Amino acid sequence: MAAALGPGTANIPGRDILRYATTTAILAGAVGLLTGIAGAAAAWLVVMHRFPGRALFTWALALPLAMPAFAVAYGYADLLDVAGPLRSTLRDLTGRDLPFEIRSTGGAILVLSAAFYPYVYLAMRAAFLNLPGAILDAATLLGCRGPAIIFRVALPLTRPALGAGVALAVMETLADYGAVHFLSVQTLTTGVVRAWSVFGSTASAARFALPLLAAAAVLLWIERAGRRGRTHETGKTRWRGPEATPLGRPAGLAAAAFCLFLLSAGLLVPAGWLVANLWDQAPDWRRLAAAARNSVGLAAAGALFTVALATLLALGSERRPLAVRVASLGYATPGAVMAIGLLAPAGVIWSLFPGSGTALALVVLVMAYAARLMAAALEPIDAGFARISPSLTQAARLLGRGELASALAVRLPLASGSLLTAGLIVLVDILKELPATLVLRPFNFDTLAVIASNYALDERLGQAGPPSLMILFLSLPAVIWLTGRISSTTPTARREIRP
Amino acid sequence: MTPLLELRQVSRRFAPRTVVDGASLELFPGRITCLLGPSGCGKSTLLRMIAGLETPDLGEIWIGGGIVASPAGSLSPGDRGVGLVFQDNALFPHLDVQGNVGFGLTGLSREDRTREVLRLLDQFQVRRLAAAWPHSLSGGEQQRVAIARALARAPALLLLDEPFSGLDGVLKETVRGALLEDLRRLGTTVLVVTHDPEEALAIADDLILMSEGKILQAGAPEEVYRRPASLVAARLLGEMVVIPGRITAGRIETPLATLPAPGLPDGPARLGLRPEALSAGETGVAARVVRTRFAGDGHRLTVDVGGIEVPLRWRSTPPPPGANVRIDVDTADAVLFGPDGDVAVSGRLPAG
Repeated sequence: MAAALGPGTANIPGRDILRYATTTAILAGAVGLLTGIAGAAAAWLVVMHRFPGRALFTWALALPLAMPAFAVAYGYADLLDVAGPLRSTLRDLTGRDLPFEIRSTGGAILVLSAAFYPYVYLAMRAAFLNLPGAILDAATLLGCRGPAIIFRVALPLTRPALGAGVALAVMETLADYGAVHFLSVQTLTTGVVRAWSVFGSTASAARFALPLLAAAAVLLWIERAGRRGRTHETGKTRWRGPEATPLGRPAGLAAAAFCLFLLSAGLLVPAGWLVANLWDQAPDWRRLAAAARNSVGLAAAGALFTVALATLLALGSERRPLAVRVASLGYATPGAVMAIGLLAPAGVIWSLFPGSGTALALVVLVMAYAARLMAAALEPIDAGFARISPSLTQAARLLGRGELASALAVRLPLASGSLLTAGLIVLVDILKELPATLVLRPFNFDTLAVIASNYALDERLGQAGPPSLMILFLSLPAVIWLTGRISSTTPTARREIRP
Repeated sequence: MTPLLELRQVSRRFAPRTVVDGASLELFPGRITCLLGPSGCGKSTLLRMIAGLETPDLGEIWIGGGIVASPAGSLSPGDRGVGLVFQDNALFPHLDVQGNVGFGLTGLSREDRTREVLRLLDQFQVRRLAAAWPHSLSGGEQQRVAIARALARAPALLLLDEPFSGLDGVLKETVRGALLEDLRRLGTTVLVVTHDPEEALAIADDLILMSEGKILQAGAPEEVYRRPASLVAARLLGEMVVIPGRITAGRIETPLATLPAPGLPDGPARLGLRPEALSAGETGVAARVVRTRFAGDGHRLTVDVGGIEVPLRWRSTPPPPGANVRIDVDTADAVLFGPDGDVAVSGRLPAG
């Protein structure tokens, strides 16, 4: 912020900033709308209805989270290339070309929506599962049916979750660099990176960053407000969740087709296309292996550091709640902004310890990851600690353990599942991270995301495939584990099995 | 009188358990019927089948002379003319009281709907709450709003699921009394599901007993209380003192009393008495005090009669354990149970 308001030489005209901001706003608004509709509809279907493949789609619909948005962009760009096989065949068959250009704001909207709908899906799935069954039954008995139940009862009650899910998707849209840059869409985030890398001006970069930070703060506030939620339970009765009703054959097939379409759009088509293109490639395996080692090492170090820090914050949060909230602000901050912001302090450290280049740069990078992903890690850890009955810690204290010792002996083991969840979330996010890594990485230090991005920008899309797919396959087990955990911690796990 | 609601051999299975097992019952217009049974006996499932939220596996449900559910198919809940008030009232938290009550009134103009909603709120004395939000209401107020909401569509039948379980003590009786008075005044046909025998006896015009998925007995409350169909039915409505005895030559002999048991075969049998049939007296059966317990309105004694412990209510200062007392036994409502708990002779045994 200081950089933006300071007297630095900002060569970027305000008009450009306005143009970038408008594109960003259109992109964010459209992605928010599309992910909101698609994510909520998919969540409604898998929670409220039984149809072919429902059990599979319940967790598979979250899998696109393992796919970096830039990889989705590469897949579609190559597939829909003017000279590509799909369009060539279409031209030969119909004599006309598709009136659609993927390298456009519209293309970016579709790509980012396909990549980010799982944020809304997961939030809405949890919210629908938590709707009291009696409320839905009451609406049915009062003559409400079909879409009326969704619009008159279910959506009004889950609006906070919808807001939170859409806010996450929009935050990711604002923070995205790899996909939009590749699709030649100029957003504030690409502006930040460009201002820094082309003009070398931290001040200009910061000017792009300011509106981003403001938007991010608003989104973070929406997301937090959503998490507070309203409670509907009176606690008098045994809890009953919503009951899934079977869909008729045509409707069931349509539901399955819709879910398959989402899963295909976010994962199967782009990943499939990248896989199909693998055979023509002669990848530089040595370079890829080194990059994979770097990626995994950075992700593991970042995850460990972030989770350790988040755990300390969570343990201390009972004493100082404000500190935690400040620490969470980073989540809304796009990685590029975070990186530029860290450059100044990093420069000071560099000048203090000359010659410690690579190691120090890596430390700064890990710190940037931790700052950016702190909230993502804090949320599950906080929830995990909240589930532990205070009497357990009190019992440990009364049995002679100190505060720290009882935390180590009781709370950490009991919350180990939550710590693992937090670690995996951070791990997956770092594997996919691009802008902060691009800005802060040491010279000649490549990660899979960086290699993929470099190939793609050189128009060697085929070559970008292997590193993108390696990210996907490294993230996939973690994402599968995470969605499994999310499905098993719902209230319905206790429900009777009906014939 | 033709029944408003009729269940014919209705069954519902949630593997591996048959939750409702061949239940048949009838409800008559304008009357308040209580379905009484212990937790988990299937009464809530039965209620949900009547409302249309569950479909029976076997049997038929008729409402107002038309069939609404059978294994072949069922009418959707909104089309049955049935209102249901949920145990937790299930008010929509995103709508105010007026919005909740008007929820089911679709197809009316805005003015008509407002007028109708206010009329209903008036009927249940909650008009002042029209703009309030559900979470700001007391339990009793929430319930009145929930009932007004259910009655807005003028259902032929109103179902109440454990309506007073969330209220306690004095409040419960006040709320219950006022509410039932309103419902009777409106001539609503009501089916109340409850597990509280005191409540069932207090509010029911007709009483239906249910246990382990089966209907045990139906009738007027006093009739059911005095002449239970089985030991299980008797115990659903309150404590039953059961004294083992033996039938010989048309008479049952027990430590407490000897009574005629005409036409019954010789062998072991049991005599059932309500606790109020036993009272302290000057002349009755001799007994020894085992222990005493203070119970607010008096004392509860446990006394030993010929090796069998029976309860005895005592008004004044109780005798110490070990003391001898005498018990008067009122056998007017005695019930004779066979060895398996089935009733052999119920109520009004001929004086012996």
